[in-house]
Amino acid sequence: MDIAAMQHSSHCALLRGVPHPRHTICWNTKTRHGKRLRCSTVTLCSGQVLLEVKDLEAKVAETGNTILRGVNLTIREGETHAIMGTNGSGKSTLSKCLVGHPDYEITGGTVTYKGENLLDMEPEERARAGIFMSFQSPVEIPGVSNSDFLRLAANARRKQRGEPELEPLEFYGFVMPKLAALKMNPDFLNRDVNANFSGGEKKRNEILQLSVLEADVAVLDEIDSGLDIDALRDVADAVNGLKRPDSATLMVTHYKRLLNYVVPEAVHIMEAGRIIYSGGLEVADILEKDGYEGIKTLIKKEAAAGKEPVAA
Amino acid sequence: MQFVMRIIWGAPQLQRSHRYSRAQRRSNQQQTVLTVLSAEGLNGPPKQGQTELAEDGWISRTLAAFRTSGADIQSVPAPMEEMRVDCLAALRTQRMPTTRNEEYRFTDIAPILQLEPQVAASATVLPGEAIAALVEASPLKEAVARVVVIDGAVASQLSDTERLPQEVFVGSLREAPALPAAQQLGKQARLRGSPFALVNGATAQDVLCIAVPEGVTVESPIHVLYITSGASSVTAPRLLCTLGADACAEVIEEFVGPAKGAEAHFCNAVAEFDLADRAQLLHGYVALEGRRALHMKGTLVRQAAESSYKLTEARLGGRLTRQDINIEQAGEATQTEMGSFLLCGDEQLHDLHSKLRLEHPRGTANQLHKCIVAAGRGRGVFDGAVKVEQKAQKTDAGQLSRNLLLVPRATVNVKPNLQIVADDVKCTHGCAVSDLEESQLFYFRARGVDAAMARKVLVYSFGAEVTGEFAYPELRARIQAAVDRTLANVPILEEPAAEAA
Repeated sequence: MDIAAMQHSSHCALLRGVPHPRHTICWNTKTRHGKRLRCSTVTLCSGQVLLEVKDLEAKVAETGNTILRGVNLTIREGETHAIMGTNGSGKSTLSKCLVGHPDYEITGGTVTYKGENLLDMEPEERARAGIFMSFQSPVEIPGVSNSDFLRLAANARRKQRGEPELEPLEFYGFVMPKLAALKMNPDFLNRDVNANFSGGEKKRNEILQLSVLEADVAVLDEIDSGLDIDALRDVADAVNGLKRPDSATLMVTHYKRLLNYVVPEAVHIMEAGRIIYSGGLEVADILEKDGYEGIKTLIKKEAAAGKEPVAA
Repeated sequence: MQFVMRIIWGAPQLQRSHRYSRAQRRSNQQQTVLTVLSAEGLNGPPKQGQTELAEDGWISRTLAAFRTSGADIQSVPAPMEEMRVDCLAALRTQRMPTTRNEEYRFTDIAPILQLEPQVAASATVLPGEAIAALVEASPLKEAVARVVVIDGAVASQLSDTERLPQEVFVGSLREAPALPAAQQLGKQARLRGSPFALVNGATAQDVLCIAVPEGVTVESPIHVLYITSGASSVTAPRLLCTLGADACAEVIEEFVGPAKGAEAHFCNAVAEFDLADRAQLLHGYVALEGRRALHMKGTLVRQAAESSYKLTEARLGGRLTRQDINIEQAGEATQTEMGSFLLCGDEQLHDLHSKLRLEHPRGTANQLHKCIVAAGRGRGVFDGAVKVEQKAQKTDAGQLSRNLLLVPRATVNVKPNLQIVADDVKCTHGCAVSDLEESQLFYFRARGVDAAMARKVLVYSFGAEVTGEFAYPELRARIQAAVDRTLANVPILEEPAAEAA
């Protein structure tokens, strides 16, 4: 790692009162990180901004219930972020809004992805542009084989990037190494999409899709739920293995154990549709120890000390 | 017209007679001829009442056509003769149903009743080139035995039963008149069969027997290929399949029709399955007849204790088709599974009537019905009755019907019903008539596949949940080809990005 970058990063952390993140990855020293400090929740010294969420508000389309009440989040190349929060705080809604889920309606704010207005794009356009969300409980599609599904998806993305589409045999060559890297049985390809998959198999299948789509921003919604320790480690290894210097990961989780394996630079706490606090991995420790009350106490303490709350 | 009559007379009996009057007039004409025939052509002394044949015009004409062909004077094995006499007696007062019968409310059998019954003179049709081509086009290389049934008669010259275990009998009842299993013939159909099953019992010219004795396992499927040659306008294929205790087999019934341009014909098939204790049967039923075919199928199953019966059905061909499946539980802890896929294209009606009666404890039953209606003039009908009687405690029964209507005016009439008398059971049932599932569509879109493409993939694969149970690629490919043909011109699957907005 570039020494200058390391200095930058610790400098940033000091300035903001955030302890040095354990694994700050600073691939791109060209970033003008200094002036970003005040406007974004957490600014780490890495690459270009990939995704920028500003004052995002959203409601459930059917009932009109407002879920998101002004979310701000900036994710740069090479970064890993985690969002934690109580049930119903809007974590999953945020993930779904990012991929354009039809159940939710955006009522305010902006989302910029690689400089473009993400909210103007159809769900399939977002996916082809490189945004990926793993579903909490992926739907079963009996009758459609996993290999056909993956090939359709891969070709949609390849077409977008101007790459040639893959024929079934070529696709086999393309996907086999990916399966091997994820320690998955090739048998997966012949089975129907998620049909009769165990919880763990479904999660692995989501990661396989992430791998095949070679996404730039991976939004992993509770990828750890329902996994035993070994499966969790496998899935986490796979996620780590798929990270690239120019990609980013956003994890939604309830538990710190995932963060022990996929270590984030930033942890955000959501409540009532907003990010109320952001920090490094130590935030997750406080959460683990004292629960959400602990975070609230921390916010009060910091406010008393005159520190600006992190989130807008 | 009928509406007016109801107002004037207000009596359903009058309506009924109005409906039948024309057919009956015709049948009266036929009866003059019949009297002559029966006087000179009967095997043995004339039995009482046979000169009348039946009250119902269509039944009368059908029996007459059968008699004209001379098929009834051929000597037949005793169990067949018994069944024939039995059914003839029952048919004398039998009336064919109309849409006023609850069972046939949505399935108008008028096209069958309008068809002039005519049975080809010779009982065994000689295989011609067209038939050889049909056999050629319907391979199943995994099958341990293939039996070809042409117009209801077992064609042994086209069949191959060499590789079967010695104890297993597969062939015409005529070849094994003393087969003990033959005692079962007609027993179930007589008690629980539809009127069509009675007609079959009276007019079947041959019976295909599959008898797997106690403890024998037939590893590979027995492929029964029913061919309608077009020589007769009415055919009555009959199958009797018995599995002894602990026996295990797979029987695939495949119906194929005459070549293009053939006249309409009516295939009136019946199959009876008798499963002894712990027997296991996989039953495939694939109907791929031509678009003018009329097809009625009675399937009757009796399951003894701990036996397992699994039906996988794919019905794609034909203009008017119906399966009446009736399953009776004769012992504890039986397993019953039914999967059906029906695809209704233009002017096609596919009807599935299933009755499952559980009268013993600890049975499990699972039914999945999937139907696509892909044309405005197509119709799907489903009536699935599962009855869990008082004694059938600890039953685990599930039933699901999923229907996809792809175009405006496409119709399904579904009546899934579960009657539970026992109080310690686990039963679920559900029915969905809908467009494609939003969550599945979104899953595709979230992976970059546009809505139009996703829709196409989902529709084409809708039936695969059922047909995927067939482990044989050739059979699956034949089914898929028929699906592709039917869906080829469905507008919603052609317009790109129709639902993208």
